[in-house]
Amino acid sequence: MRLSELTKPVQDHAYAFLDEASKRELRRKILKGICIPGYQVPYASREVPMARGWGTGGLQVTLTLVAPHSTVKVIDQGADDSVNAANIRRFIARVAAAKTTTDACEATLIQSRHRIPEERLLEGQVLILQVPEPEPLRGVETSSAAAAELHADADYGMMWLKLYEQMVRYKRIIQGASYPVLVGNRYIMSPSPIPRWDVPMLHQAAHLTILSAGREKRLYCVPPYTEVRPLEFDDVPYQIENVDGMVCFRTGATHKFMNELPQEDGSSLFELSDSGYGEKILTETPLGETYYDSEGRFYHDGYLRQ
Amino acid sequence: MAYVAARGGEQAILEAENLYRELLGTLSLERVKIIEETMPYLIDRVMGEASIYAPELAALAIAQTGGELYESVLLLRAYRSTQPRLAYAAPLEQDDLKTVRRVSAAFKDIPGGQVLGPTLDYSHRVLRMEVLRGETVTHQTKAAPQASPSSFPALAAWQRQAGLLPEIQADQTVPSEIPDVTREPLLFPVSRAHKLQSLARGDTGGILALGYANMRGYGAVHPTINEVRLAYAEVLLTHPSTGVQFSAGQVRVSSSEIVTNFAGNPQDPRLELGFSATLGWNEVKTIAASMLDLSMERSGHPSQTPEFVLYHTEPVEASGFCIHFKLPHYVTFQSSLEAMRDVKGKGHREKVKEESAVALEEAML
Repeated sequence: MRLSELTKPVQDHAYAFLDEASKRELRRKILKGICIPGYQVPYASREVPMARGWGTGGLQVTLTLVAPHSTVKVIDQGADDSVNAANIRRFIARVAAAKTTTDACEATLIQSRHRIPEERLLEGQVLILQVPEPEPLRGVETSSAAAAELHADADYGMMWLKLYEQMVRYKRIIQGASYPVLVGNRYIMSPSPIPRWDVPMLHQAAHLTILSAGREKRLYCVPPYTEVRPLEFDDVPYQIENVDGMVCFRTGATHKFMNELPQEDGSSLFELSDSGYGEKILTETPLGETYYDSEGRFYHDGYLRQ
Repeated sequence: MAYVAARGGEQAILEAENLYRELLGTLSLERVKIIEETMPYLIDRVMGEASIYAPELAALAIAQTGGELYESVLLLRAYRSTQPRLAYAAPLEQDDLKTVRRVSAAFKDIPGGQVLGPTLDYSHRVLRMEVLRGETVTHQTKAAPQASPSSFPALAAWQRQAGLLPEIQADQTVPSEIPDVTREPLLFPVSRAHKLQSLARGDTGGILALGYANMRGYGAVHPTINEVRLAYAEVLLTHPSTGVQFSAGQVRVSSSEIVTNFAGNPQDPRLELGFSATLGWNEVKTIAASMLDLSMERSGHPSQTPEFVLYHTEPVEASGFCIHFKLPHYVTFQSSLEAMRDVKGKGHREKVKEESAVALEEAML
């Protein structure tokens, strides 16, 4: 018997690029994250063949979970054909030989930057959000060691104060994307820079959400059917972006999150931010249930106060 | 909007990459060899930041990116992260190094002597224009009358004997148990192993900038270079079945020690020591890093806090995050814009103080 007969042919990398030790670490950290909803779990975060800050955290989770029978959707700002989404999708397909799709209902794994699809995700689907800054307290506490202590003590006074100060100065909370949420009535979490429109979609969701920051080396999870509440005062309800009167110029859709397209005459056109959803409307593909109906009503009655 | 909305984004990115590579010209083994042979200090810098000692791969990374150094470091790191950690080398003391250069600013002469070795320190920085006129320039050193020793003790060892530096106990942690920052997240408060490892793989420019800030006045430390050293280190491994130690080869390393003004108990004041070492010969980085090693014990100015220094001198993370701002951000921008229009529309504009524009700008990031 020869040694060469016992070994496998040389490969440039393992299946789905990451070596098995890295994948095992990630699976363990994901399980921990699922067990402690909203808690930031540090992980080694190995370098991958993509620049840090370009979705390496999401990519490591996707590469850990992907299998040859997976169907993967990758979006950036809601768009499947955004250049970086296209690049990530190309890489996943190349190293994992998985099927890819633009249909949110068809995907088993959805890696996304800054958006959640408009169609409701269902049990068994996994949403992987890319996260630039996992620490919701960074704005009020720059030291991550000190922030970890605040989380341990659930000492969130400074976050409330920050929102209160915005109220005093602007008569409303001016936080745009990355609106802080309380998960499972315990940890304040950054939902990643998704618009306020998307934040309610995490609440009591049927799907699993994994949020992963490669550069900051932290991941955290929202398991299915978990309470996710944006920070709001009793007398100041949480406000999603106002999309009243915006009509998608491609599909005629209303009451969905829109991209604003400035026109030369000073006006603006609007188009659906969720390009996969828009494509389904245009090709008359049967649509899934959406989080917001065509009148803008959110599917959990009473979750959004007036 | 074209770079997102256009169908065929995939084709566009492939062609953009093609264009970059076409402009670089043909990649060949010959080109890689020329880089490896003619640019050892560049190779060393890239290998140090990538924390992988592989001159041929470093030369390939430089060739493949046309010398875009952050890209080169990322290529090597991404390769390194696919490699298993098979063995742990034996720890080395400075005495074990085959030292080719070791100078000290603290004393006129030191045990073992000042050894200048190869350096541009005393060169006249004049461009050799004759080379552009077709002349070739070669240099030949004269052999010294007597060979210098191949290894030198650390000056700090003498200072400890003389009671100038506090005694230390050698750390007895077995190599496989030493925390490895390439396999674990960097957490704070930081272990000394992670601190020195992070400095060793830190961005040369970033380490220099923060080290310089400390030297120039933001630190309480006026440094004296105890020694700076360029050497060859044997990578000593233990054979897994026979238990015999053997050398897997030599790597170029640099190290630096700095001492500062005395401190501690007024009855028995001692000097303090900062240390740094890295793969490859990179003096400016190890000097600045040993300065930061010492300053980070003090925790005053941000440039003295481990979290500030170690996060922000990480070349792959810092460069990656910086260039990620090229990615579209129109969803987050739209979300902020909506809030701003609402504030404007409510007629609060006149009430909003001038300074609030700054706060809004911050919120929009």
